[in-house]
Amino acid sequence: MEYLTSLVSLALIASAIRVTMPILLTALGAVYAERGGVVNIGLEGIMIMGTFFGAVGDFFFAQAFPSLVQAVPDLAPVAGVLAAILAGIAFALIHALVTVTFRVNQIISGVALNLLAAGLARFLNILLFTQATQSPGVRGFTPIDIPLLRDVPALGLLVRGISPMIVVGLLLVVISQWVLLRTRFGLRLRAVGEYPLAADTLGISVTRMRYAGVLLSGALAGMAGAYLAIEQAHLYFEGMTQGRGFIALAAMIFGNWWPLGALGASALFGYFDALSLRVVRLPVPYQFISVLPHVVTILVLAGFVRRAQMPAADGVPYSKEEE
Amino acid sequence: MKGRLLLLQIAAPALAILFGMVISSIIILAIGRSPLEVFGIMVRFSLGRTDSLFSILFKSTPLILSGLAVAMSFRVNLFNIGVEGQYYIGAFFAAYVGFSLRGLPAAVHLPLALLAAALGGMVWGLLPIILKLRRGAHEVITTIMMNYIASAVLLYLINDIFRDPSQAGTPRVRTPDVAAAARIPSLGPLFAQFGLTGSDVQKLNALLLLGVLLAIVLAFVLARTRFGYEVRVVSANPEAAEAAGIPNARVQFWVFMLSAGVAGLIGLNDILGFFGYLDIDFPKGLGFLGISIALLAKNNPIGVIPAALLFGFLDRGAQGVQFFARVPKETIVIMQAIIILAIVVAYELMTRYIRIQRKREAEATTPTAPRAAEAGS
Repeated sequence: MEYLTSLVSLALIASAIRVTMPILLTALGAVYAERGGVVNIGLEGIMIMGTFFGAVGDFFFAQAFPSLVQAVPDLAPVAGVLAAILAGIAFALIHALVTVTFRVNQIISGVALNLLAAGLARFLNILLFTQATQSPGVRGFTPIDIPLLRDVPALGLLVRGISPMIVVGLLLVVISQWVLLRTRFGLRLRAVGEYPLAADTLGISVTRMRYAGVLLSGALAGMAGAYLAIEQAHLYFEGMTQGRGFIALAAMIFGNWWPLGALGASALFGYFDALSLRVVRLPVPYQFISVLPHVVTILVLAGFVRRAQMPAADGVPYSKEEE
Repeated sequence: MKGRLLLLQIAAPALAILFGMVISSIIILAIGRSPLEVFGIMVRFSLGRTDSLFSILFKSTPLILSGLAVAMSFRVNLFNIGVEGQYYIGAFFAAYVGFSLRGLPAAVHLPLALLAAALGGMVWGLLPIILKLRRGAHEVITTIMMNYIASAVLLYLINDIFRDPSQAGTPRVRTPDVAAAARIPSLGPLFAQFGLTGSDVQKLNALLLLGVLLAIVLAFVLARTRFGYEVRVVSANPEAAEAAGIPNARVQFWVFMLSAGVAGLIGLNDILGFFGYLDIDFPKGLGFLGISIALLAKNNPIGVIPAALLFGFLDRGAQGVQFFARVPKETIVIMQAIIILAIVVAYELMTRYIRIQRKREAEATTPTAPRAAEAGS
């Protein structure tokens, strides 16, 4: 009974929201890529780049401009997030080039990107910090309170002292849902993912839209990595993404390729992630608690993927000459 | 056309390797070192010393198996990214059979351990393939999740259940020793007759021969048997296979099991061939390297052997580069990833070029008919 009540405590929910963010942001990125018709298994690697460059941007900005950072401490993490987003876009550009321009199998390109990211992060870490696996500690954002809601006593931990990146992430979900449903860009992106030949005939550049989708996925996965390094761990260390990039892909599928759906699914994973982090006193060896999110991912894919409606041309390279 | 085709087949991987070298040269230049010097050290260290040659063969052994495992699944349009986890479990199964049974003759114990390893890999591959075929769960994500779960299970088994009691009080987390009868025989005594000795010669074991044999057998099965024919049809055209009465699901299931079974053997090079026990720090990541090797070999079982040797060479070279040139060995890891990206692009361009050439030649021999048909449609 004691551990049952601890499964729904406010502290656990607050922690679940925190650990939901990296999965959510990456899942959101995956929605953009796959809505445009490109599967991006490389998001895990892009997330690794995000964790590394997030920490690097944060650390070196603070070193380079100490007086500036003393005046406005949040500038350092902002620099980290921007560096991570840029690194994410650069990495996604490789995926776009290989899969959209050269039309290579998207899974293969993604797998190669993941291998590249792991090697590159180690290599650069040796160059910058003289050891392979860890960066020095970095500064996080100043926690904020949500206006209006902060005075509701029952919400407590959920609205007071939270990371501003959580607020940004939730806003991005709403914005993305609107972009995909209502804007010209969103409709074109979806058209390219559903029926590229028709979109092409109507004068929409399939290549350009797919590049846009993939680059957006890179930016968001980079940002997700930055969140992990800057807000959660306050440093970069090797292997810190723990397969969250792949879990995010499952969350996107479970969320039926929509941002709001991805939010719901990510929250589910976040909950189990938080559970595994807090090691609630369950009568199970700790090794098994740590893989709860991975087990849930398999269950979700096995149980619910059927009802999902994936974009019709998802994963299929498009070539003008061969249609 | 035929001669040019063969030339292209060789030129594509050569160009990709060259491209990988160019990118790594830029990286080496960026850290203020000379690429010529670094590559020189790499080649001299890996190819100019006997111990290096044996070390390359030892490193290539699990890579051949890993490349074969991934290539088999690729042949039926499945991505077995779970080779990594499958060999963890296979390694444990083999170690368990090795340390729990005593007094068996080697002729029984070793084959039993090999079978157990294959079985372990298959057990770990079973869930993803069933979920794929029955529930449509994408095997890439489920196998990756199974990899994480395999690490956790292995840690639990080695640390909590089967930890060697004689290591109590030490930080070593490992199983008890495997019985001598379950060890894979070393090829060292064989080479000793030719005056070749040393620890790297001693490490080389009979699993290398098994890997090469397996590659030849798989190549034969694919090219010459009914099952191989079914595999080729399923990979070339799933709809046509189904229409011809070849059930895709059944072929995919058995090929995936074969892939997972071969994957189960990967860890044995170190567990049964060298250490003689399963340590929690046993070599990891070999399953992911298998993906690169399968891609490099274009999923051809025989091609897996030179691809694995190349990666063995790069791995040994990386050690030399780190030790003698003080350049991080990760430079070589980056080079491997670049080679893979370049190779898939090169193969894709090559396939497209050949298709266009064939089309042109077909049009040249029958100049009017296809055009007329095209205009009419």
